[in-house]
Amino acid sequence: MTGLALRSLRHRPTSFVATLLAVGLGTVLMGSFATLVETSFGPVSDVDAETLVVMGAVVGGWGTLIVLFAVASTAGITVGQRAAELGTLRTVGATGGQVTRMVMSEVLAVGAVAALLGAGVATLTGRLLLGALRGVGLVGGDVVAGPGIAALGVTVAVVLLTTALAALVTARRATRGAPTVTPAEDGPQGSVLRWWRLLLGVVLVGYGVAMGVVTITVTADSADPYAAMSTSGSSSILVGVGMPTFAPWLLRGLARVGRPLLRGPAGHLAGLATQRRATSLGGVLGPVVVLTAATVGTLVLVDIDRRTVVGALDGDTELITLLNNVVVGMLSLFAAILVVNAYAAVLAHRRDELRRLWLLGATPEQVRRTVLLEAAVVAVVGVALGLLAALTTIVPFSIARDEGVVPDSGLWLPPVLAVAVLAVTLAAAASAFRRAVPPRVLAGAAA
Amino acid sequence: MTNHTPSTALEVRGLTRAFGEGDRLVRALQGIDLTVPAGSFTAVMGPSGSGKSTLLSCIAGLERPTSGQVLLDGTDLGGLGQNELAHLRRDRIGFVFQGFHLMPYLTAAENVELPLRLAGRRPDRHQVVALLDRVGLADRYRHRPAELSGGQQQRVAIARALVTSPAVVLADEPTGALDSAAAQDVLALLRDAVREAGATVVMVTHDPVDAAHADTVVFLADGRVVGRMDAPSAEAVAGQLAHLDDLVGAAR
Repeated sequence: MTGLALRSLRHRPTSFVATLLAVGLGTVLMGSFATLVETSFGPVSDVDAETLVVMGAVVGGWGTLIVLFAVASTAGITVGQRAAELGTLRTVGATGGQVTRMVMSEVLAVGAVAALLGAGVATLTGRLLLGALRGVGLVGGDVVAGPGIAALGVTVAVVLLTTALAALVTARRATRGAPTVTPAEDGPQGSVLRWWRLLLGVVLVGYGVAMGVVTITVTADSADPYAAMSTSGSSSILVGVGMPTFAPWLLRGLARVGRPLLRGPAGHLAGLATQRRATSLGGVLGPVVVLTAATVGTLVLVDIDRRTVVGALDGDTELITLLNNVVVGMLSLFAAILVVNAYAAVLAHRRDELRRLWLLGATPEQVRRTVLLEAAVVAVVGVALGLLAALTTIVPFSIARDEGVVPDSGLWLPPVLAVAVLAVTLAAAASAFRRAVPPRVLAGAAA
Repeated sequence: MTNHTPSTALEVRGLTRAFGEGDRLVRALQGIDLTVPAGSFTAVMGPSGSGKSTLLSCIAGLERPTSGQVLLDGTDLGGLGQNELAHLRRDRIGFVFQGFHLMPYLTAAENVELPLRLAGRRPDRHQVVALLDRVGLADRYRHRPAELSGGQQQRVAIARALVTSPAVVLADEPTGALDSAAAQDVLALLRDAVREAGATVVMVTHDPVDAAHADTVVFLADGRVVGRMDAPSAEAVAGQLAHLDDLVGAAR
């Protein structure tokens, strides 16, 4: 089955690249911060060790969540796309176990290459990061980077384990029931909310909210101005990553509310599709929520910090601002790639259905507008939920820094970022539509 | 726009369709002439590769012919752009496909309404329910395709094909995915649509039993019309198919 797995890879360059990018970039991001933790175990002073651990574990921790979310959903999407192919293999006699092993070896082969490349890059970026810390005097000039082997080893293992778990869950789902070459289209009830998924979502959202409460009640009064940041900073990301576990249900409910706003034939179809196809579109909603929550939450946090910090060194503030911006930049890029990936996967899956609309007399423009309006509904719902998640960081931190529930200024940030996320989502949908349904599919050329 | 008579629903003149070029040139259709009177039921038969599906695609404006003309209800398809062809499909043509082609996220009633919705018209609920009633699914109009059997899905598709009162209903192997009981229901519905509602049906099939429901059978081989049979019986059609080679020789 391994030979088959490797050959099958060459036929799906898009999902190959998607997995490669998610795992590779994810490893770079996680690995860079993980090396800081390893360095702290070396011959450094206690103060430096603490700084390194806080930097690596806390700041890196936010990233880890998003990375694992991205890796899991990319692996899930790329395996889920292949239900028909896996069904065909089973009809010609492959056992469910064989198919699962094939999928796993494929995903792990790509994942391992990507993770090792990522780890290689992370040794460099980790050193650059440490160099930056030394440069502004946050750690002593004598701090030498650790070998990084242990940190990167753990990072690679965690990333690969997440990838494998996500692939396993999806492959098991695809190989359940009787083998068929024509997987059922969305059933009437959509997918069932699994208890572990619900639990994970509740834990993440609950943890994020609890950290916000801790910020207001405890760390706000701490002498260390960054105590409040370390408790509230990750809230938006925790809640943002937790929310998508309920994405299909949220989308279904919110799309119903918004449906009367959608006009025309394309609007009519888009409204019904988002409401009833919530399970497949939920795969796109998740990344949109995370992207919004992470960027808005963190950037507003940094903005408040820049305005209100007292008693700390200028260098400190500057460095932390810089670090936060770098992290937000990398995470945004990451989440944006994920939005594009997710859209490509969702639409590739629906090529036949969209062509069907055209067969029945929809103009190519109507088909395109249906897809873009669906994307708009997903984007608006996702941004709204993401902003909600961002509040769990912004409000507690703003209160902790005595600006009250609403920050004193910088209020232009959320709307500007929201518009940017909307634009990214629509652009992702438009480009995915062009690739999944090229003009020739909706013209006389294709039979 | 030419000398068609009002009672002609569809006219095909000298239709050819070739794919590829040079050594790999495939002539799918090599000069088809066909006149389909309004209110008739025509079956198009032929072995695999005879050009049945290509013919249907050209009639529907899904493929452009290499040469020749398709006149649908007097309109020459050759002069129409992509959007005009789309409008023609939803207003003047009804489709029934082998694979049903219902939208999975729409209910039976919403699927039936779809051609009207695409035209920006507000569907008349009574008409939709009446149509579903006619195909025996009045109690299923809120069900989604996944909740219906294959035969029921195809009956929804027939109601959808009739909702605009099209000039012609094109059916591409409509019973290909159904068991024989469901197939008989579907054929009876198409037959009734012609007899009672005055619809015009052109059906591609490879099954002599299906073809026997039609008024006329047109035999296709190697992209040519090689024979016709009026008031066909399943036995006669099967016999003719078995000796199609003789007809091909005669047609050349």
